[in-house]
Amino acid sequence: MDVSCNVSSIKLKNPLILASGILDENGYTMKKIIESGASAVVTKSIGIEERKGFETPVIYEEYPYFINAIGLSNPGIDAFASEMNILKGYNVIGSIFGTGPEDFSYLAMKMQEYGAIAVELNLSCPHVKGFGLEIGSDPDLVESIVSEVKSKVRIPVFAKLSPNTHDIIEEAKAARKADALVLINTLKAMKIDINARMPVLSNIYGGLSGKSIKPVGVRYVYEVSKEMNIPVIGVGGIESYEDVIEYIMAGASAVEIGTAIYRHGKGIFKEINNGILNFMKENKIESLSEIRGCALR
Amino acid sequence: MCFKMRYSYIIENVMENENTHTIFFDADFNALPGQFIMVWVPGYGEIPLSLSCTGKPKAITIKAYNEPGMKLINYKKGDKLFYRGPYGNHFSLVDGKKLIIAAGSGIASMHPLIDDNSIIIESLKRASDIIFEKELKGRAIFTTDDGTLGIKGHVIDALKNVNLNDFDMIYVCGPELMMKSVFDFLKDKNVRAEFSLEREMKCAVGICDSCSVSGIQLCTEGPVFTN
Repeated sequence: MDVSCNVSSIKLKNPLILASGILDENGYTMKKIIESGASAVVTKSIGIEERKGFETPVIYEEYPYFINAIGLSNPGIDAFASEMNILKGYNVIGSIFGTGPEDFSYLAMKMQEYGAIAVELNLSCPHVKGFGLEIGSDPDLVESIVSEVKSKVRIPVFAKLSPNTHDIIEEAKAARKADALVLINTLKAMKIDINARMPVLSNIYGGLSGKSIKPVGVRYVYEVSKEMNIPVIGVGGIESYEDVIEYIMAGASAVEIGTAIYRHGKGIFKEINNGILNFMKENKIESLSEIRGCALR
Repeated sequence: MCFKMRYSYIIENVMENENTHTIFFDADFNALPGQFIMVWVPGYGEIPLSLSCTGKPKAITIKAYNEPGMKLINYKKGDKLFYRGPYGNHFSLVDGKKLIIAAGSGIASMHPLIDDNSIIIESLKRASDIIFEKELKGRAIFTTDDGTLGIKGHVIDALKNVNLNDFDMIYVCGPELMMKSVFDFLKDKNVRAEFSLEREMKCAVGICDSCSVSGIQLCTEGPVFTN
């Protein structure tokens, strides 16, 4: 049985990647995640300059979901070199964010220089003004960012898209020059505490993640896989091997796991990997490619 | 493992010194010494605070140095205290003799450990910084930077004169430099010791990576570590 998979030119030993934004600002932490069974990690989104992020509270938890507005806190691309240095020889996908094609291509070149095996363009952070969502909902800007980055780096370029859009196909088509699409980022959401009579997050709005968003993620992966011939990495609410199989059947080449770590710990990668192997054995599946997209109608 | 934001009513607000207050609140969750909660001051922010009393009622002890802290020390009896948790691991509980080593408000997280079987070494800048005076008097060896209380010097100056073999467990909490000095002092001695570390915490549930040290998340795998 073979759980390995390919995402564009990258070969991964299993389809389980750490999603951006979770335990991925610190080199040693990311190393631990890979040693815990993830085939690759996506870094926290890194920008040109250091950003402190929003004031606390930056998260709200209530199973089965999570709302966060960390606010793209990151040390800036230059300072991030030292974290990437710790990860030499490991599969690291550099997530980057910026305001336009120049920012993104500069950051992508830096990530390539640092040894990243791919870059993931964060075109979809739902809660920081001027970045992410505001970019992601402008198809022309998405197209020019992807083209510019593609022309500047040799490593594969992944585009992480937003579910907070009226037309995912339009957005996906704008990013079609990417080597893979990453679907989906968090959904814009909020929480009001009825006893305090105000929003909990200091930023008011945050991104919804966790089990609650899985059906939405699966739908987007399915829809894009049906319409376009491009590798898709599925993200959103994955907590079990069943969730991974579902995403793969919807057309995903690989998946990213994030929020689930808070309930299941870093051991989740091995747990899910074992679950996938058992499922394959029971169902006489030799390779994940046999079931990839099998649910598409 | 999932902690929704909730609230408890404040029973009492006790001023410990100029800028440190202990707030007692009526809560029935289970907690152990060393654990912390994330306290939300609506409109001002959310901060991690060790529980300075883990029984009933529970308490937090706040040194006000940031905006949420400054708001918090003015809370009154009957006000709502919003929080989530408790989070983190805890100090090991032992039956034998305990040595508690603290600097400044580091004593707060170890306050629930203080009993008739414990000796405390408390390091302060000056005499007026003392907190938990009632519990410490008679049990504590003080050191102060300016010599206004006890030994003029640091914790090590007091620790040198203590027979470590008398103790079944040593607990340490305070600024990292102080803890490092204690850690180094204890290195070649055959003693059990636990250190409670402090870092900026944002999520408290082990996912944001803001409190990580060498790949370890203080909020979930700590804050208490053994020597």
